[in-house]
Amino acid sequence: MVYNNEILGRGRNEVNETKNATRHAEMVAIDQVLEWCHCNDKDPGDVFERTVLYVTVEPCIMCAGALRLLRIPLVVYGCKNDRFGGCGSVLDIPADDLPQTGAPFKCISGYRAEEAVEMLKMFYKQENPNAPKSKARKKD
Amino acid sequence: MEPQRKRRKTEESDTFLWEVLPVLSEELSQGIEFLQAYAAPIINKKDTSHLVKKLAAMYPLEGLQHIKRVRACRDKHSPHPLEIIVCLASDLNSKEEGGTIPSITALLHNSESDCTGLGEPFLVQIPAFPPLTRPQFEEASRHWPTSFHEDKQVTVALKGELFSKDEKATMQKYMEQAIEAAKAGKEEGMASVGALIVDPDIDAVLAVAHDCRNSPNPLLHAVMVCIDLIAHGQGGGAYNYKKYPACHFVPTDASHYLANDNSLPSVNLSSLEQATESGLPYICTGYDLYVTREPCVMCAMALVHSRIRRVFFGVISSDGALGTKYKIHTKKDLNHRFEVFKGVMEQDCQKLSQL
Repeated sequence: MVYNNEILGRGRNEVNETKNATRHAEMVAIDQVLEWCHCNDKDPGDVFERTVLYVTVEPCIMCAGALRLLRIPLVVYGCKNDRFGGCGSVLDIPADDLPQTGAPFKCISGYRAEEAVEMLKMFYKQENPNAPKSKARKKD
Repeated sequence: MEPQRKRRKTEESDTFLWEVLPVLSEELSQGIEFLQAYAAPIINKKDTSHLVKKLAAMYPLEGLQHIKRVRACRDKHSPHPLEIIVCLASDLNSKEEGGTIPSITALLHNSESDCTGLGEPFLVQIPAFPPLTRPQFEEASRHWPTSFHEDKQVTVALKGELFSKDEKATMQKYMEQAIEAAKAGKEEGMASVGALIVDPDIDAVLAVAHDCRNSPNPLLHAVMVCIDLIAHGQGGGAYNYKKYPACHFVPTDASHYLANDNSLPSVNLSSLEQATESGLPYICTGYDLYVTREPCVMCAMALVHSRIRRVFFGVISSDGALGTKYKIHTKKDLNHRFEVFKGVMEQDCQKLSQL
């Protein structure tokens, strides 16, 4: 999260350690900006309106909603997210007509997309240590 | 939900002032689309099977297996009791447009022998897709008979009759707690929205939350808080709610029965252990959420990520993502889907926005 050429927040996915499936990198970085605002006595509304998010993967539908609510003007991302992408892949949250959900934002996509895809492939090769064992899953 | 349990006061009333309705996918809730087709009277009933075979070979009506080729004539006094679909209007060459109905010989490629047995054609509307719900079936059948494979649960749900009185009493019990949480949040200067997550298998509340968006974090909507409280109960969690005593959780992780400001060890622990015997609790798998108003798109997707089982809400929201602007819970390209019901204590939830 970059504001006035300064990195205010830097996050990575923290879903496993928090056992909270909403702790995506964007949400973690947002919290750091909020903390910075608190420490520097800045109004978060003013700061987010002038902050750009750089993220390796297209934000999911949830994060896109969060970015709208915070009125972030611009998001620069690497690769598309076909599973959850909320900035054009599954839904187009930044452009949709949602007058009660903050403000629309712009996106720039494709920057270093190949590297981002490779990182995602590495991740999906791993096992999810917290997911229930296949026995529990068979109930579905 | 043992039947011998004492009923709460709210459960004594036999009727409820609210109705709980499913929020179904677009394909289940939309109106019927129609195609234009030409039908013709069958002059002699005995020719019916012969004509069905011949027309099926000439005009197979591909992708319209739900359409019954023949229907009884609606006019009981008609000299011909049956009518048959000859072809779709789109089966004809475009030159035959302009509102005039072609003759039966033109429809059958001027082949005289094929035309015997059919009267002059007329236009009908036939349903383009198989009906999935009883209202769709009834609408479709007003135009042309179709087959219908009824999903009984959907039919019952659409009539608001999916849940018994006992189940509605349980919903009311939970929604009342969500409303109380919303009021507590309002007193803290938050939006008056409350949420709670229950394990329906053991009838236990695991987390109660109110909106905290006017805390330092504007994204702490009631649903986000509730999801994080469940994480706390499982030994994780991202935020601290010490300032908000109305936000609390039940530990579901054995390592976690230490003194904790917001934990309420009010659940029958042995039943909880039984419930989780098949595996440790995993985010919101198997849990139901009650929330006073329809979640926004951020919260709705957070519930997908959290693998919630069902969502019950009171009133719709103008940018709501579980029925109003989106139906996130029915999107086939997402990796988790869940059931959503609206209308639980609708009026009481509506009143919260006027606080």
